[in-house]
Amino acid sequence: MKNFTLPSEELMGSGHLGCQGCGGALAMRYALKAVGDHTIVVIPACCWTIIAGPFPYTSLKVPVLHTAFETAAVAASGVRAALDIQGDTETTVLAWAGDGGTFDIGLQSLSGAAERNENIIYICYDNEAYMNTGIQRSGATPFLAWTTTTPEKTPKAEPKKDIMAIMVAHRIPYAATATIAYPDDFIRKVQRAKSIYGTKFLHVLAPCPPGWKASSEWAVKLSRLAVQTRAFPLYEVEDGERYTLNAPNPDEPAIPVSEYLKLQGRFGHLTEQDVQTIQEITERRWQKLLRLVSESS
Amino acid sequence: MRKPIVFTSEQEMPPMAVSLADMGHNRTGSWRYLRPVYSEKLAPCKNACPLGNDIPRILSLVSEGHYEDAWRLFRETSPLPGVCGRVCYHPCESFCNRKNFDEALSIAAIEWFVADACFDLEDAIPERPHRSERVAVVGSGPAGLACAYFLAKDGYAVTVFEAASQPGGMLRLGIPHYRLPREVLDREIELIARWGVEFRTNTKIGQDIEIETLWEQHDALFIATGAHRSRALNIPGEELALTGLEFLKAVNTGKPPEIGKRVLVIGGGNTAMDCARTALRLGAQPVVVYRRTREEMPAIVEEIEEAEHEGVQFEFLAAPVAIHDLHGKLEVQAIRMRLGEPDTSGRRRPIPIPGSDFILRADTVLTAVGEEPDLSFLAEHLETSEGIVIERAQGLLERAGIFIGGDAQSGPSTVAQAMRSGKEAAQAIKSFLQGQRKPKSLKLEEALRVNFSYFTHKPRVPTPQLPVAERISSFAETKRPISAEQARAEARRCFSCGVCNLCDNCWVFCPDAAITRVNGSYEVNYDFCKGCGICAEECPRNVISLIEEEL
Amino acid sequence: MTPTLTGTKKVVTGNHAVSYGALLARVQVISAYPITPQTQIVELLSEFCATGALRAKFIKVESEHSAMAALIGASSAGARTFTATSAHGLALMHEMLHWAAGARLPIVMANVNRAMGPPWSVWTDQNDSLSQRDTGWMQVYCESNQEVLDTVLQAYKVAEKVLMPAMLVLDAFVLSHTAEPIEIPDQKLVDEYLPPYRPIYKLDVNDPRSFGALAPPDVYMELRYKMHQAMEEALTEWAHADEEFSELFGRRYGSIEPYRADDADLIVVTSGTVTSTAREVIDELRAQGRRVGLLKVRLFRPFPAQLVRAALAGAKKIAVIDRNISFGMGGIFAQEIKSALYNAPERPPIFGFIAGLGGRDITPTVIREIIDYTESHDEPEDLIWVGVKR
Repeated sequence: MKNFTLPSEELMGSGHLGCQGCGGALAMRYALKAVGDHTIVVIPACCWTIIAGPFPYTSLKVPVLHTAFETAAVAASGVRAALDIQGDTETTVLAWAGDGGTFDIGLQSLSGAAERNENIIYICYDNEAYMNTGIQRSGATPFLAWTTTTPEKTPKAEPKKDIMAIMVAHRIPYAATATIAYPDDFIRKVQRAKSIYGTKFLHVLAPCPPGWKASSEWAVKLSRLAVQTRAFPLYEVEDGERYTLNAPNPDEPAIPVSEYLKLQGRFGHLTEQDVQTIQEITERRWQKLLRLVSESS
Repeated sequence: MRKPIVFTSEQEMPPMAVSLADMGHNRTGSWRYLRPVYSEKLAPCKNACPLGNDIPRILSLVSEGHYEDAWRLFRETSPLPGVCGRVCYHPCESFCNRKNFDEALSIAAIEWFVADACFDLEDAIPERPHRSERVAVVGSGPAGLACAYFLAKDGYAVTVFEAASQPGGMLRLGIPHYRLPREVLDREIELIARWGVEFRTNTKIGQDIEIETLWEQHDALFIATGAHRSRALNIPGEELALTGLEFLKAVNTGKPPEIGKRVLVIGGGNTAMDCARTALRLGAQPVVVYRRTREEMPAIVEEIEEAEHEGVQFEFLAAPVAIHDLHGKLEVQAIRMRLGEPDTSGRRRPIPIPGSDFILRADTVLTAVGEEPDLSFLAEHLETSEGIVIERAQGLLERAGIFIGGDAQSGPSTVAQAMRSGKEAAQAIKSFLQGQRKPKSLKLEEALRVNFSYFTHKPRVPTPQLPVAERISSFAETKRPISAEQARAEARRCFSCGVCNLCDNCWVFCPDAAITRVNGSYEVNYDFCKGCGICAEECPRNVISLIEEEL
Repeated sequence: MTPTLTGTKKVVTGNHAVSYGALLARVQVISAYPITPQTQIVELLSEFCATGALRAKFIKVESEHSAMAALIGASSAGARTFTATSAHGLALMHEMLHWAAGARLPIVMANVNRAMGPPWSVWTDQNDSLSQRDTGWMQVYCESNQEVLDTVLQAYKVAEKVLMPAMLVLDAFVLSHTAEPIEIPDQKLVDEYLPPYRPIYKLDVNDPRSFGALAPPDVYMELRYKMHQAMEEALTEWAHADEEFSELFGRRYGSIEPYRADDADLIVVTSGTVTSTAREVIDELRAQGRRVGLLKVRLFRPFPAQLVRAALAGAKKIAVIDRNISFGMGGIFAQEIKSALYNAPERPPIFGFIAGLGGRDITPTVIREIIDYTESHDEPEDLIWVGVKR
C-alpha cells in the first residue's frame, strides 16, 4: 500500500556530501525525479555547492553549473538563453539556491529574472540560515531563532522575510511552497512548474538537522510539523493572484506551534511567552493566507 | 567498487573544474553510527493474543477480500476462530496501537466475520508424517481441543476423553447460547475430528477409566479437565442456593430449572454475568449481589455493560451472611460493606459495616464466586509419584509424559488462555515424544512506534446488536456479525504494526538514495547509508530498527 | 598574399564599431546593463536583435554583475557571448570576471575606459580596466575605431582557442563617441575567420557534467597553472590571430606596435588613443631631427614581455605615459614595463608619467613636455605627474 507515487528515476546519486538527514538533499532528489533528466541545474554558493561533490566528481546525473552566490537566477537565465538560441527549448533550466542565495544576496538577480519572466524554475531550498558557513542568520531565519550570529541572549529579533509575497508581487506565472514531508505535493508542483512558460518559483522548506539542532531522523517529521502547525503552509499562487491552499486542512484543528519548536534546539531558549508570541504570529499569517485564498476563489 | 580519480600530472586534468565521474567512490556509509535494519516486529495485537494469531497479516488478507486465506491463517494458530470471534475477550484489541490514534480495531468482529464467511469451508487435511505415538487428551474444553488439534496436525494419533455426552467442555456447558451458538462449536469440533482426532464422550476419568490405564495405553497424556468445582460461600443455608455453574450447565444442556421471578446472583465475575443474563432470558428479574463496587468487578467490562443494558440489577457493597428458607421463599441476610485498603489482588478490600444487616428476598439464589479445578483423580498420584516436574515457565506439569493445562492447571481463565495452554502442551508433548528439548521461541520486539502521520482518522466499525427486547426473550445471539464490506473497511484501518506492507516510505524519504526496491522488498545500501534514521522514523509501522554500529 | 578587401566603408563611433564587431562575430547571447559611455554599444546591438540582423538572445539584466553571470551561464551552455560595460559596471562585475576566467569561458567584453568615482566622472582613464588586471582576462587597448571592430573578432578568435575571456578596451568619448570612417568586413570572410564556437565541454543533458565544483588543494593549483599556461599560449595565438586576420582583411595590429623606434634614443610608451597623438608628435620631432620613437602596447594581458624587451632594448631612455594610477606606487604600464625589463640584459632608464586622468586631454603639447622632460633629465624618475596644478 503506497503512501506516495514517486517517479522511480534516481537522478541524485549516493555518495553525496549532505549531512545525515539533510532536507536539502531530499529536496534535490524529489526535484530531479519530478523534472527529469533533461534538466540543467544551476547552483550558487549554498550547501549544495559541497553536497554535489568536489571536482572531478558530481553526485547528480544532470549537468550542473556552479556559480557565485548571488547569481543563481541570472546564470540560469543565461543558460536558458544559450539553449534557446541553439534551438533547445525542451531542456528545463533549474536554479537551485539556498535561502541566503535567495532571500538575501541573490534577491536582486532573482527579482531581475522574475521581472523578465525568464523561462526557468527557481527552487529555493530554505534551511533558514547560512548553514554551509556554520549557521549564521539569514533573512529566512525565523523570529527568535538561535544562530551563531544571533546567540541565545539576543536571538533573531526580526521575522522571516516573506519571500513568497515578494515573488508573487512580481506576478510570475507560478509560485508555490513545498516541503520534503509532502513528496507528492512537491513533485506535482515541480512538474506543474515545468509545464508552464516563464519564471516559476518554489519555496521549499528543507530542515537542517545540524543547524536546527535537531535529531537527523526528525528531518521529515519537522517538515511535516511545520505544515501541520501552519508555520509553513503549502500553497500555490498563479499569475500573482490566484491562491490555492494545499495543506494543512483549515477545517482540522491546528497542532500548536510548540510541537514544532520543541524538537529544535535552536528554539531551546524560548520562554512560554515567546512560544505564545510565535503562535500568535503564526495564526495571523495563517489568517492572512486564508483571506488571500478566499479572495481569489 | 569505484576508485577515486588521482591526477598524477596537470596534463591529465581538464582545463576547467569539470566532473569526470560520479560520487560512487565516496562510501558515506563510513559516517554511520546507527544502522537501519528491516526487522519485522510483533504487532501488539498478535503479542497480546494468547494464541499468537497473526492478526496484521490476517487483516491485510481481509482488507483485500481474501477471506478464505484469512480463515486458513487463523487456523494456523487457532482451531476455533468461530468460537473465539464470539467469546474471546480480545486482549488484542486492548493492545491495538490504533487505540492511541482513534479507536482500536474491531478484531474480534472480523474474526467472527471470517469464520462465518468460511463456515462451510473444509480445510484440507494437512500433509503430515505418520506417527505411531498415541496421545490421550483428558477433557475436550478449549485447552483439550487445542492440544488435540495441534498434535493431529503433526500426525499424532489423539484420543480425547470427555466426561460429558458431547465434547466442548466449558464452551458447551458454561457459555450461554446467546454468546455462542452451538452449531458454531459443533462445526469447529467436527473439523478437528476430520483430522483424525477420536472423541470418547461419557468417559469420566477416575470413574469410567483410571488415569494409570490411560497412561499405560498412551505415550503421553494431557490433562485438561477444567475448573468445574464451584467455590463455596461458607455461610449458613448455602445448601439452599444453586451454584451458578450447575445452573448454566442445566440451561445449556436444555434442562432449565424452575427459578421463579426474583433471582439473586452472588458474585461479580463472568459466571455471575452469564447467570444473570441467562436468568433474565428465563423470565426472571435477576439482581447481582457483589461485595465491592462495579469498579472492582472481575467480570469483563463488556459483559457488565451488556448485563446492565439488558436490565440486570446490581446490589453493590453487599455480602450474604446467611440464607434462610421462609415457606419456600428464600431470604438472604446480607451485610453492607465498605472498601478498605487494596489487598493482594490490587482491589480494595471489602470490610463489613457492623450492624448494617439487611434482608434480600428471592425465589432462587445462584452462587458464582469462582470455580476451581477438581484434580482428585490425580492428586494422590501427583503426590506419590516421583519424577513429576513442575515447569513453572511453561505453566505445565510434566511427569514422564503427563502434562496438565487449561483451567485445570491455572484455575478459571479465558477461552483463549486455555487454548494457548493446550497449544503449548501440544508443543511440549511433541518435544517429549521426539526426545527433544522444547525449542526456544525467539521473542520478537514488539511494534510500538507507529507513525500516526500516515493514517487518517476513521471510526471503529460498530458491532451490530439485537434490540434488548428481542435479546432477553430468547437465547438468540445478542451480537450480530458485521458485513463483508464492513469487515474489509475495518481491516483497512489496521496499521499493520511491525509488518512491512511495502508502503515505500523508507525508499521515499532516504536523503542518500541508499534504499532500493528489490522484488517486493527493500535493501539498504550500507556503502552509502549515513544512518540518519529517517527511514526508521518515517516507517509508519515500526518495521525498521536502528542498531548501533560497532566502531 | 593580396588582402581581400570586400567590406563596406562606414562612418561610425567607437561604440558602434564594437556593436558591428559583435554583429559580425554572430554572438548568440548578449547581456548588458546601461552605463555611460558604453550604452550606445548595447543600444545598437538591441537594434540589430530587433531587426533580426543579429540572431541573438539579449538578456537585459538588472546589473553588470548579473550581465557577466548571465554570460557565464550562456557560455557554459555553449553559446558565443558578449557584453559591454565601463568603470563602475566593470568594478561590479569583478567577482564574475574571476569566475568567467576560472571557468575558462571565452566571453568577450568591451570596456569603455572611464574614470572611477567618487567623484563621479564619465570621462576616460584606465583605472577601471587595469583594476581587473589579475582576474585572468585578456586585455587589449585599442587606438582606433577600426581597431576596435577588428579586435572584437580577434578577441573571439583567441579566446575560443585558449579558453580565456577577453576584454577590449577603448577610451571614453575619445573613441567611444567619436565617429571615424571604418571598413565593415564582409560577413562571409568573418565567418571564415571565426567559425562557430565549439566548446570541448558544455552543459549538455546528453553528457551531464558539473562545472566549477569545489577544488581541494591537491587539484586547485594545477587548474591555476593551466590558466597561466593558456595565457602564455595566448601570446602566440594573438600573433596568429593577427596574422590570419591580416591575410583575410589586410590589417594587422600586433601585440605591440613600435613606431620609428628602431634607432630611437628615447622611446615613448603609450596605450589607447594617446598613441595617435603621440604618433603625430614623434613625426614632428623626427622632422626636427630628434631621435625619438614610440611603442604602442596593445596587448596588456597576457603581457608581451619578450616583445617589449626587444622593442626597447636599443633605447637610451624610456618615457611611459600612464592614464592611470596605482595609488602609492605609480603608473601601471610603467610598472609592467619595468618588471618586464628587470631581468633583461639591456635595461634603459624608465621615466613614469601620469597624465590625462579623468578625461583630461593629453595634447601634443603634453606629450612634447614629457619628451622634453625625459631628454633633459639623466636620472630616471618613477612618478612624474604631468599637468597637475600645484
